[in-house]
Parts: sequence; structure tokens; C-alpha cells
Amino acid sequence: MGEEGTGGTVHLLCLAASSGVPLFCRSSRGGAPARQQLPFSVIGSLNGVHMFGQNLEVQLSSARTEDTTVVLLVGLEELTNIRNVERLKKELRASYCLIDSFLGEPELIGDLTQCVDCVIPPEGSLLQEALSGFAEAAGTAFVSLVVSGRVVAATESWWRLGLPEAVLLPWLVGSLPPQAARDYPVYLPHGSPTVPHRLLTLTLLPGLELCLLCGPHPPLSQLDPQLLERWWQPLLDPLRACLTLGPRALPDGFALHADILGLLLLNLERKRCLFTVQALGDKEPAPEQRRRLLRNFYSLVTTTYFPPEPGPPEKVEDAGHGAQLPRACYLVLGPGMGWQVVALQLGPRQLLLLLSPQSPTHGLRALATHTLHALTPFL
Amino acid sequence: MASPALCDSPGSPDELSGDPSLQEDEDCNSDDRVSDSGSYTSASSDYDDLEPEWLDSVQKNGELFYLELSEDEEESRLPEIPPTVNHVRFSENEIIIEEDDYKERKKYEPKLKRFTKILKSKRLLPKRYNKKNSNDNGPVSILKHQSNQKTGVIVQQQYKDVTVYVNPKKLTVTKAKEQLKLLEVLVGIIHQTKWSWRRTGKQGNGERLVVHGLLPGGSAMKSGQILIGDVLVAVNDVDVTSENIERVLSCIPGPMQVKLTFENAYAVKKEKTQPRKKKANLNTNDLVKLLWEEEAEDNQQNIHNTPHIIMYLTLQLDSETSKEEQEILYHYPMSEASQKLKSVRGIFLTLCDMLENVTGTQVTSSSLFLNGKQIHVAYLKETEKLLLIGLPAEEVPLPQLRNMIKDIAQTLKFMYGSLDSAFCQVENVPRLDHFFNLFFQRALQPAKLHSSASPSVQQYDAASAVLLDNLPGVRWLPLPQEIKMELDTALSDLEAADFAELSEDYYDMRRLYTILGSSLFYRGYLICSHLPKDDLIEIALYCRYYGLLPLAAKQRIGQLIIWREVFPHHHLQPSSASNTEVFQEPEGRYFLLIVGLRHYMLCVLLEAGGCASKAVGNPGPDCIYVDQIRTTLHQLEGTDSRINERLASSPSPCLSCADWFLAGPREKTDGLATSPILSRLQGTTKATASPMCRRTLFGDYSLKTRKPSPSQSSGGPDNGCEGGEGTGLSPHPTPDAVLKQRESQGFDGSEESGALLKGTKKKSTLSNPFHLGNSKKDLSEKELEIYNTMKLTSGPENTLFHYVALETVQGIFITPTHEEVAQLGGSVHSQLIKNFHQCCLSIRALFQKALIEEKKKALNGTDDLDSTNSVSSLNPVKEHGVLFECSLENWTDQKKTPPVMAYWVVGRLFLHPKPQELYVCFHDSVTEIAIEMAFKLFFGLTL
Repeated sequence: MGEEGTGGTVHLLCLAASSGVPLFCRSSRGGAPARQQLPFSVIGSLNGVHMFGQNLEVQLSSARTEDTTVVLLVGLEELTNIRNVERLKKELRASYCLIDSFLGEPELIGDLTQCVDCVIPPEGSLLQEALSGFAEAAGTAFVSLVVSGRVVAATESWWRLGLPEAVLLPWLVGSLPPQAARDYPVYLPHGSPTVPHRLLTLTLLPGLELCLLCGPHPPLSQLDPQLLERWWQPLLDPLRACLTLGPRALPDGFALHADILGLLLLNLERKRCLFTVQALGDKEPAPEQRRRLLRNFYSLVTTTYFPPEPGPPEKVEDAGHGAQLPRACYLVLGPGMGWQVVALQLGPRQLLLLLSPQSPTHGLRALATHTLHALTPFL
Repeated sequence: MASPALCDSPGSPDELSGDPSLQEDEDCNSDDRVSDSGSYTSASSDYDDLEPEWLDSVQKNGELFYLELSEDEEESRLPEIPPTVNHVRFSENEIIIEEDDYKERKKYEPKLKRFTKILKSKRLLPKRYNKKNSNDNGPVSILKHQSNQKTGVIVQQQYKDVTVYVNPKKLTVTKAKEQLKLLEVLVGIIHQTKWSWRRTGKQGNGERLVVHGLLPGGSAMKSGQILIGDVLVAVNDVDVTSENIERVLSCIPGPMQVKLTFENAYAVKKEKTQPRKKKANLNTNDLVKLLWEEEAEDNQQNIHNTPHIIMYLTLQLDSETSKEEQEILYHYPMSEASQKLKSVRGIFLTLCDMLENVTGTQVTSSSLFLNGKQIHVAYLKETEKLLLIGLPAEEVPLPQLRNMIKDIAQTLKFMYGSLDSAFCQVENVPRLDHFFNLFFQRALQPAKLHSSASPSVQQYDAASAVLLDNLPGVRWLPLPQEIKMELDTALSDLEAADFAELSEDYYDMRRLYTILGSSLFYRGYLICSHLPKDDLIEIALYCRYYGLLPLAAKQRIGQLIIWREVFPHHHLQPSSASNTEVFQEPEGRYFLLIVGLRHYMLCVLLEAGGCASKAVGNPGPDCIYVDQIRTTLHQLEGTDSRINERLASSPSPCLSCADWFLAGPREKTDGLATSPILSRLQGTTKATASPMCRRTLFGDYSLKTRKPSPSQSSGGPDNGCEGGEGTGLSPHPTPDAVLKQRESQGFDGSEESGALLKGTKKKSTLSNPFHLGNSKKDLSEKELEIYNTMKLTSGPENTLFHYVALETVQGIFITPTHEEVAQLGGSVHSQLIKNFHQCCLSIRALFQKALIEEKKKALNGTDDLDSTNSVSSLNPVKEHGVLFECSLENWTDQKKTPPVMAYWVVGRLFLHPKPQELYVCFHDSVTEIAIEMAFKLFFGLTL
């Protein structure tokens, strides 16, 4: 499996490592899916390089060129025993939508952080109660409320889902075209890689969907409008309030500092994150740029300073004494932009902020610490 | 002064023909030269009839690398060397084997020419003989020869066995006319009866078989171990003389390995003639050993097992003559661990080709896993050739590797003109092997460099190498104005080349070389430079890769003379404008002459052609220039005590030790972020400092702080320096001094500082050695300190731990000296320094992107092209800071959490008015503004 980019173009190429048959190839340019494909010779060479290395017990992992173009060759274990390549190709088509949403410019960041994108509803406890009651009535423990790919509330069991699926399920729901209800077969890469489960979605309000993960029961028909009405009609106002939450992620009442242009809060223990660039939406830069800046900064910070996996506990113990552990970092961009980004790690939480140029550089850390303390109750 | 061009015209067919029977020519030359030299030496004051000792070491191509340690270094070293006799031999054998590989692979026979005569007659001939007759590029064996010759002094090995391959079947082809030529034809040893000097007399019936020459391409030459002057005493343990040698050799039935036993001529001779001379002329091959000292063998073994490689591959393959590994033009090392990397070169070639096609830009690096170890490979493509360096990620982070490959390429181009001429000439192979041996040693085991140095220095060196080795600048030591002036004058006098033998009037002819500029190093620090930035950096790179700078820093060099032709990029690039008014570089040749004496090293760039006469052939170093430079260094001898003083106690920003801040918090009652009041004293040596060494660079600060006022002692942002008299802000003595004062002074200091911590601190019951003030210091001394110190950080305390400031216009950087760091000591501090440099490396990687962007902008003239793209990427970065936390290493108290100290590492890039980079490390207690710090650091920073 290979991935690479040219300028603004990203190609995702999936090959069967043993045979070199391309399973699929998706390209995206500037965030939108593109028709442009990699030439066959390139595909062949990539596979050749991988095979050649494998024979000599050398695994190529990445290559870089001047334009920070990155080639990533990840030797992924074979999906399953590929019996029929053509059939597999057809089956894979179903996931193109999801794959493209990764290649595009997502509003979410779960793909990068491996944390579930969340929003903070104004009346969370009410929703939580209703959700539990509904779950019981529907006969499944795995229920969540999702607004444009972000989880508003979820049952305890849903939160306990393993990592890839916890991020992927809301993401999938957000990436699918809008429908009143769906019954979607899904494999859970962590929890149930071989036996498919059913993902049921019910649209409560446009953009706001109820997701259920269940086995053969109950059938979709059993979740009749009456059941929905019983549980959700009384909560119509809080639900409406959730709709506007989508990109802002934080409740209206919560005031951020005026210099904050974007925010990413991660709770690494609970694997949830808050990502918003909607604060002070009218100033430069545009939201997409803010998102990209924060995404890039997150990549830099995780690769250089805060590795996502702290490693086994005994190692941490070792490193604890006398080690030099990074706690915060900031970056000031050059002339013409002047935006500043700051990252702070405190316990299980990480906070990344994008700040306007007028914010004093030496005060960045204080501002970040203050903001983190204010946000701590939420996540 | 006589020009070498007088007697031999450059294109003289004799010189180039390679005909081995040019005795007449030689005689003529030698006669000429003798008389010539006579006139010369009598005129020279220093060298009346002394022949410079380095003359023997000049190689065929004119290059010279002559190193002689000073007497005391020598004595400490000598006893160690004899046990390594075997090693010397072993290592040479090993290299020989490698060379054979090359030859077999490439089916390349060195074009050996008249070297036998040169070697034979060099004792008789004057110095310029070397210059003149060294048109031929020295074959492999010449190098060997000299290394043996030199090590022979130490090793004193009398007999040696050399195994050579002989093939009598070749005789059928070259049916010898004379009978008595088996020795020559079979083995490749030339022995001429009439020439034998009969010094050793007869032995038995036959004459001793003295090797008078080696046949080009013969087995003897290939072995590289047989030296001219050696005496062949046995073949396969059968004693031989001139009497029976042909008979013995004719008994060899077919192709086989034959053991030849030689008596080592040099060992015997040198012992006899120079019994008391205790000089070890260290040849290039010994440099590795010298730098890494006795651990060399272990290290070699460790490194042997680490996968690392350098390869030079061609992308254009000749399909007709397809051979195994024909695309490899050069690779090193041959170790097994590296073999695997060599075998996957197909990957590198494919990636290079494919990625360039797809992305339009060249591949710069790739990462791969080999036996679970991540290895980064850096690429450098140039004119259908690909240079690859692969090193484990663990040892060398990717940003460093990228810088390394650039530096390597630059250095090789500086030395050989182009990568092609460096890698594609067979005679360069052993030189490159040596070069890369040094390179990999340094890259993989920086900590082992100089095991004799004190541990702190060693650690500091190793920790800082990751960043400093690849900065586009030279480590500079700012000196007081008076010393600077002295140095400047000395260098200017030299460069003017307008007196005595250097003046054109002296011999009434054109001078050989124009001195383009020179730069002076002291203990590895640049202290004065009159070279353009580009030349300076290239020369410094050369010195760095040959380990000369650390050598001068730690060892007293008795004598170092390096001479070689160089290709400074700055002078050789074709001028872009055809404008005639613009200065055009002459089509000259350039030579680098480095002369080292004690801790001094003076690098001089010479130009031949242009104003000076044209260089012919491969001239060796000219005595007059060497002499003159040495005189300049001798002139400066008096200065070194003052420079040493400056090194030990620098008036540059004073530093704090991280451990001082960690020791304090025990007493803290609350989580107060303020740290103990600490600042660094200049060190006790200050008392003896002469007023001369006051620095004027930071003059305005000094002036300000000269009259301490109450407002200053309370610490405004511009507080230039610590302290008014007798307050708690007193400068802090070095730990040693502190310990001495500890008993006598009790708790004075901690109380004082406690009072300053806004009274929040309880009176401490623990004595803290780092809190002592030194209020008892006498006042005048203190004033002196105040005058000399500069504080970079704001706030009442000195919170600066470390800094690196790079000034790219002049190509210099400053950073605390080894002595300063050693004075601070501290285990946490040394870790902090290591971390600082690693962090700076990643910060600098971001800055480098920004600089590339800036260059592109400058080229395009506009920056609106892909503004959307650039907005979203984190580029260009102007400032980057990281906050680290650390605690004491051995915290035994389980009940309490260990004290934690937080510090910032901040990098700042300045593009305007001139590119500068600043990296500082300071305590978290006071918010610092990088611009202010930078201003203080860079102020007055001029060469």
C-alpha cells in the first residue's frame, strides 16, 4: 500500500503485496477527489521496490523529495486471504466514500489524532439520559448521537469501542450522503474483524443522526417512529441546539480568548478530542487554512515532541528521572502571516491553539494553560 | 625566487611519457636542482642547510599531510604504540585486500611511472624535485609506502612476510630476452646489480637482494607492502640472494601464492641514523588512531557491526558491457553489516528515478528497516550520478543526515573539484576510504572522540556535534580588541607577502602564489579570519572532516603541514555576468596550505595564476610559504596565554548551571516558580585577569553596569549584569569555589537569597552549597567582574543555560566554550545540553525550510503564486520554542516528588537585515523575548 503527494495532489494506492495487482487507487487534488491517476509504470515500480526489498529483508518505509513530498510505503498485512482479486476490488468500492473523505480536507481531525471527534452539548446530561433509555428500549448497548461526524453523546458501551472503529464509525456516518435511515454492514477492525455487525442510523433532525451498533436484532423496521418520538420529542430543543454545534464544538456560552483562532483539545486517556476553528470566524485566515495549520502543527508536535504512545510504563519510569521531557512548544510564523501556534501537554490532555499575530509571544504559554484549565471540565 | 617552470616545461613529453628508463633526464634534473637548491638554501635564513623534515612525505601529486606531535604529547603516546605492532600490520593488510578488490573489479591497472627514481633519489635532490617530478598521480602504493616508512620508526619491525601471487604462465607471453629477469617479470621486483650500494656487504656468495624498484602492475606493487630499499631474504622460507634467486623462482610450477620475506630497510636504517629522535610522524592512516586513541580497535569493531554506507552510483549504465556491480563507482565500507545496504541499491536507484518523474523534484531521503533497525538514506543526485549515505536513525537523525550529505559533497568538491573526479579516479580510493573512515567514526561514535579529554569536554563535544557540525559557520571565539588587532596585523602582514623572500623583488621574478586570505584557529576556535565566507566555510569543513580542529584543541601539535590543491567553489564558479567591469576571477589554481603549531592552526588559501605565476604540474608545498606562515605563528606565541585566559573566563553571556536550579526547590514551601537567585561568576581566575583582556564588544552594557545603581540591582529588563555591591544578587562562584566557601560562610547566602524570594521561603535548615553568595569578595575584584560580565536574560537572576548564535554573513557562530561548560559541570546540565542540541536540530530543520522558501521567493520575485498553499503549511517559521521539564536523576526520597525544573529551548530565525539564527536555552521562571536576547548576543559580533 502506497501513498504519496505531488504539490496539492494526494494519491492513495492499494496493492496486493504478493501479486502486485492494484486493488484501488484514489486521488485527490486540493481536497476534492481527482480523476488523475498514477501511471501504471509508477505503480509497477513501487511494487517492484517493495518486493525487491522484501526478498532481501529490507523494508522501505518512506522517501522524501525536496518539495516535502512524502511517499509512505506501509507494508500492511494482507487484508485477508485474497481469493478473488476482482471480487475484492468490487467490494472495496463500497468504502471509496470513506477513503475519499480521508484524502480530502476533512473538518474533523480524528484520522490524525486517533481520537473521537466530539462536541460539547449545552445540556449533556439530558441527552445522555435519553440515550441510555433509548438504548435499553432498542435492545442494544451501543448507541450514539452524531452531528456531522462528531459525537454529541454516546452510551458507555459505545465509548468502550476499540480504537479504529470508535473513530471510523462517526466518520463513516458523516461521510455518507444524507438519508433518513440506514442499515449498513460494518466490520469492526478491532472488536470483530471477521464477523460483520449492523450499523443502523436514524436521522432525528437534518444532520443529527442516531447511530446504533447491533447484531442481527433488532431489524430496522422495529425502530418505528413511535419509539423515536417517545424518547426524543421531549428533547427537541436541546437537539436543535446541537445542530449549530457542529463546527463550533463548544457551547455558545463558553467564551474563548479573543486571540484564539483555532483550538484542538485532546484527551489521550479517553481518546476524545475537540477541534474547532470557528472562534472569531471572520478574521484571516480562512477556516480551511486554519484547519490545515493546526493539522500540520499537530503532526509536527506529535512526531517531534509528544509521541502519541508514551510506551510501556516501566520505560516511562526510567525516563522519569533526569529525563528532559517536553511539556509545551510554540511556533511563530514568518513575515506576512505572523500566526502563532502553541501546544501544551498537561496530564492526559493536550491543547493546541492557533493564535492571531497580536498575541504576545511570551504570553503564549500562559494563555494556553489558562484555556486548558477552563476546558478541563468538558473533556 | 626560482620558479619551478624554469627547467621543465609543462607539457614536456618526458614528464608525461611514463617511460621508466629516463635516467639521463633524471640526472640532468638532479644536477640542476642541486645547484638550484644550493642557491636557494643559502639565501634562506631559516633553512641554511636543513632540509625540512616533512619533505619526504610529499606525495606524488604534490599533496602533503604531515603531522608531528609535540614532544610532551609524544612521550605520553610512545609507550602505547609498540604493543600495536600487530595491529598496524593487520590494518594494512586489510586495506590492501580492499584495494585488490577494487582493482579486480575494475580491471584497472595504475599507471605507475617514474616513482622509483624519485623515491630513490629524494635524499639527494632538493625539495623542488618533488614538485617537478610529481606529475603522475600517485598510485596506491605510494601512500602505503609512506605510511610504512613512518610507522616503521615506531614499529621497528625488522622482517616482514608478504604474500604475493605469481603466475609463471605469463612468461610465455612476455618471453624474456634476458634470463636474469624472473624476479622482475614474475614478482615485479626490480633489482639491479650495478646499483646495489654494497652498504650491507655480501652475504654468502650472492649479493643481497635490495629492492630497487617495483614493476608497474606487478604482484609486488599490488601487495603494497614491499618498499623500495627492502631486502628480499627468503622465498617460501628458502633463503635467497642474487645468486640463487632466479633458480628458486624458476622452480615455481604454476600460478600460486608465494611468501616473500623481507628485511625492512627503513626500520634498520632509521634506527641507526636517528637513534634519539623521538618524533613520530603520524601519517594519515594513523590519524584515526590518534583521534580515537587506544579504543580505536573496539570502536572499529562496533562500527563494523553498525550498518552504514556511502555509495556513489552512476545512473547511466552501459548496457553493452554489463558487469556485476558496474553501477557502483565507489562504496565504503566493506563490512558485512553494510553489505545489505549495498545489495538493495536497486531500491535507491529506482526511487531516485521514479520519484523525480512523478513529482518533478529530486528525492532527498528515504527510510527503511533493516533487521528491525531504522536506517535513513540521504540522496544527492548530480549529473546522472547518485551519492548515497545511509546511517542508522538511532545514531544520526534525519535532519542531521541531510546536512551531512550536503557537507560531504561540498568538502569533496573542495578537495577534488567535482564528485566525479573524487570518486572516479582509482588513486583516490584509499584516500576516500580514509576520509570516510574518519567520517563514519565521527558520525557513529562522537563520544569516543578523544577519550583522553576530560569527560565533560567529551560529553559536550558529542552532544553538540549533532548541531554544530553542520552549521554553515565556524566556531568563533570573540577576543578583546587588543588581541584581535594583534592577530589582524600578523595575518595582514603575511597576506601582503611583501617582504623578504615573499616579495617579488627578492628574486626579481613573479611570485609563485598570491595569498587570497588566511584564517587563524586556536584550539579549534576561529579567532581571526581574512577569508571570504565561502572559502572560510569550505576550509573549515575540510578541517572538521579530517579532525584537525579537535586535534588542535586537545593535543599540542609539534608541527602540522597540509598542502593540497583545492577547488573553492566561490572562485571557480563561472561568472554569471559577461560584464567586463565586474571582477572576473582569474583562471587560476588554488592551493590550501595549513600550518599548525601547538594549538594554533593557520589556514592560507593561495592562488596560482592571475597575478602570480601559473602552477605547473602538481606542485608540492613551497618552503618559503611554509616558512613564512610558521614565522607568523611563532610571532603569535606570546598571545596564546591571553587567549587561553579569554577561553577560561569569557566575558560573553554568563551562564547558569541547571543543577543549581534543581538543588533549590527542596527548600521551597510552595510551588513558587521563582528559582534560587543564582548567577554565574566569571570564575576565580578572574582575579588574575589583566585589564587588557576586557572585552569591548558589548561595550555599552559594560558601561551601563559599571556604576551599579539600585534600580539595576532590582533587575530591570535591560539589567546588563548582576549585582550591586554586596546584595543578594552577587555573582555566583563556580562549584569548586563554593565548596571551599561552604564551611566558612554557613548559611549567609541562602538567607540572603531567601530574603529575595519575596520572603515566602522559610529559613532553610539544609545547607545548600549553591546558594552561597560571596559577599566577602573584595570590592575591586568585584568591579572587575561586573565590568566583564554580560547577562543575556532579563530579570534579577541569570537564567541562561546555553546558547548558539549563527551569523551567516561572516559564516561564524558563537557558543559557550568547552571551558565555560566544564566550569559549570552538573549532571542535569550536561543532559540539558544534549537535549538542547537535539532540539535545536529539529528547530533548525524548520528554519532551513523557511530559508529555502525565502530563496525561492527571491528567485521568483513574487510570493503570490501559491499563497494558499504556503498559508496552510507551517512555513516559514520565524520562531520556535519548546518547554522541557526535567528532574534530578537520583531521587531517593520516595515520599516526596522530585523537584522539577522547566526550561525553554527557543530558536529564532532572522532573515533581515542579514540571516542570523539564534538558539537559547533558559529557565522558565522569567519570560524572555528572543529578539532582545538576540540583540544582545549579536551586538558587535564581527570578525
